[in-house]
Amino acid sequence: MVDAKIVNLTIEGRSVSVPEGTTILEAAKTAGILIPHYCYHPGLPIAGVCRMCLVEVEKAPKLAPSCATTVAEGQVVRVHSEKSLDARKGVLEMLLINHPLDCPICDQSGECELQDYTYQEGRNDSRYREPKRFNPAEDFGGDVIYVPNRCILCTRCVRFMDDVAHEPTLNVSERGDRALIGKFEGKDMTHPWAANVVDLCPVGALLSKDFLNKARAWELDRTASICPNCTQGCNVIMETRENQVVRMRPRPNENVNAFFMCDWGRLNYRWMNEKSRAEHPMVRGKNGLVATNWEAAISAAARVLNGKKAFIAASPMLSNESLFLLTQLMQAGGGSGTFRVTEGEEAPLPGVEDLALRRERAANVYGAEKLGFKKTKDLLGGLGQGDVLVIAGEDLAGIDASAVARAGDVIVISSVLPEAAGKASVVLPIANFSEEEGTVTNLRGRVQRFTQARQAPGETRPSWLVLGDLLGAMGKQANFFLPSEVFAKLATSNPSFAGLSYDSLGFRGLPLVDAPPTGPKAPIAVAAR
Amino acid sequence: MAITVKVVERPVNEVSYVRAALKGMGLTIKHLFAVGDRVTIQYPEEKSPISPRWRGTHRMLTTENGKARCVACGLCPTVCPANCIKLVPGEDEEGNRYPLVFEIDEFRCIFCGFCQEVCPEEAIHVGRHYENSEYSREGFVYDLQRLMDQTHPVCEMWDPEDPKGE
Repeated sequence: MVDAKIVNLTIEGRSVSVPEGTTILEAAKTAGILIPHYCYHPGLPIAGVCRMCLVEVEKAPKLAPSCATTVAEGQVVRVHSEKSLDARKGVLEMLLINHPLDCPICDQSGECELQDYTYQEGRNDSRYREPKRFNPAEDFGGDVIYVPNRCILCTRCVRFMDDVAHEPTLNVSERGDRALIGKFEGKDMTHPWAANVVDLCPVGALLSKDFLNKARAWELDRTASICPNCTQGCNVIMETRENQVVRMRPRPNENVNAFFMCDWGRLNYRWMNEKSRAEHPMVRGKNGLVATNWEAAISAAARVLNGKKAFIAASPMLSNESLFLLTQLMQAGGGSGTFRVTEGEEAPLPGVEDLALRRERAANVYGAEKLGFKKTKDLLGGLGQGDVLVIAGEDLAGIDASAVARAGDVIVISSVLPEAAGKASVVLPIANFSEEEGTVTNLRGRVQRFTQARQAPGETRPSWLVLGDLLGAMGKQANFFLPSEVFAKLATSNPSFAGLSYDSLGFRGLPLVDAPPTGPKAPIAVAAR
Repeated sequence: MAITVKVVERPVNEVSYVRAALKGMGLTIKHLFAVGDRVTIQYPEEKSPISPRWRGTHRMLTTENGKARCVACGLCPTVCPANCIKLVPGEDEEGNRYPLVFEIDEFRCIFCGFCQEVCPEEAIHVGRHYENSEYSREGFVYDLQRLMDQTHPVCEMWDPEDPKGE
C-alpha cells in the first residue's frame, strides 16, 4: 500500500493520516480509539447490519456507520458526541429487548461485547415490560451449539461460512423480531474450520461444546503460543485454568493464520495435560530404575554417551533450541538423528491464502529437517548395533522392544516414559510443549516463538536446559541459562538462522534467511454483500 | 546537676482510697440483693437477640426440587476478598450449569457478605448464626451438601420495607 494516497482527517480531535479507502473504524483504531461494533470483523466482508458503530461526521446529513464509511480528506469525526452516544444507546436497548440477560449461566460472560458495550454506554435499565421471545438452544453439529435467545444477528458466522470457509451452511431465517440463525437443510458445522464462528460470535449465541460450562473468562490465564498440532504453526493463545490447558484460541497474525485456526488443532490440547508423566530423573541400578538427583543423572548420561556413536530418535514437537542441542550431541560421537511424524488429511481454509490444516501433524517438522534430522517412516531403521539410542521426546508408539534391543544403551529424554524403552539406563524427564519456552519453524520457514503456559510437574526441566547441561557434562562449551542464549548460539552456527534473535522475532515471527518468500496474506475482499 | 522532684502536698480526703473502695463495694452489695433487674443472660439456655443483618456461617438455599439454586456463575469466588470459596463449574443430569464442587472455608472467611450481595440467583447467603464447633479444622470446610443442610435463618442485607435505607 505504498502508492496509495494518504488522507488526513480528524477523529475525536486527533489528526489521523491513513491510506485512501480505509474505513473510519480502522482509522480510529490507528488513533487508539475503539468504536463499538458487532458485525464488523477485519477478517470478514463488511455487512453494516448491526448499526452499533454509528458516528457523527461533520457536515454529513445523518450518522454514518463507521465500518462501511471510507475516510475523506478533511473529515471531522466525533465518536463520543452526544448524538452518536444517544444513537448507540438506542441500538443497545433494541438489542437487549429479546436478550435473556442470563449472563450467570452464559459461557461468554466476561468476554462478551454486548456486556462490555452495555456497561460502557448502554442504559442502566430496560423499559421493555412485555414477554421476551424464546427459542430453544440448537446443536449445530461439530463443536458448535447455538443459543438463539442470545443472538444479536450480526451475521459474522454466516459470512464466515459463506466467504471464508466457502461452504454456505448458515443463514438468517425468519424475519423481524423472529429472525434467528438457521442451518441449511442437510448441512451442519462439521467443516474442519467451522469452530471459528465461536470466536467470531461477539455474544454467547455460538458456543463451543468442548468448553461449555468449564471455566469463566476471567479465571483463565492467557499465554501467547503456537499451535503445535500441525506444520502450519497458527499463532494461538493458550488459556489455562488451575494449571490445566482448557482452551486454545487463534491469535491474529496476517503472515500465518490471519484470524483463524482449525478445529482439529483447537481441540487437540488434552495431551498437554497428561497426568502420567516421567517426573524424576532416574538411573538404572541393581534393582532397575531408581530416582536420583539431576546432577547424578546428567553425569550418568554423559558417561554413557562419551565417545560412543549416538543415534537420536527425536520428536518433531521439540523446539529449534532443543533440536539444535541434539545435533551438537550427535556431532560429538559422529552419530545420526531421525524423526517421524504422524500424518492426517490436509484441510485448507479457502478464504485465506496459504492456510490449511497440514498433512504433517507436528509443530517443528521443517525445523528438524533444517537442522539435519532425517524424516523417516522406520524410526529405528538406521540404529546400528551397539549405538547409544537417545530417545528425545518420542513416545515410540507402535515400536516394539526388540527394535530397541539392538541399541548398546538407551537414554530417554522425554516427558512421558515410553514403554518400549524398558531397558533405558538413564531417564531425564523434560517439560512438554506447553511447559517451556522456545521457537518452532513452520512449513514456510517462519520461525515463531512460543512461551510457557503451564508449570511443569515434579522435577522436570525444560528440554533445552537438560540438553545444555548434558553437553556441559560431556565437556562441551554449553552453559545456557535462557532459551534465548541457545537460540543466539543457533543463529551464529547455522546460516539459515543468521541474524535472528528472540528480540527480532517478537511474537509475530520472522522467516528464515533462505525461506521461500511469502507476502502477507491478502485480506478478504472487502465488498458489501 | 541532680534532678529534683517537687512533691505536692494534697489533702488526705483526696488521696485516701478507703472512701472509693467502700463506694465500689456498696455497688456490688446492692446488686447482690437487687433480684429484679438482672443483666446476666443464662447462655446457652437463653440467647441474646441478634440483628437481622448478622453475618454468620453460610447457607445455600435450594429450589422446590431440593437442588442448590447455584448455577456456578463464578461471581462469589471472584468477589470474595478472603479467597475462601472454591468452585468448579460443570453440568447436572439435565445439562444445566451446576457446581461440581462448591466449598467454603469458614476459617478463612471474613464474613463480609459480599458473596450474598453478588449472587444473581440468591443462592448463597450468610446466616444469622454464631454457634460453630468442630473437632477438626477440616470440619470448617463446608461442602455443597453441608451448606444446603443448614437450617438457620439467613442474613437480611437490607430491610425489605426500606430497601434504600431511608
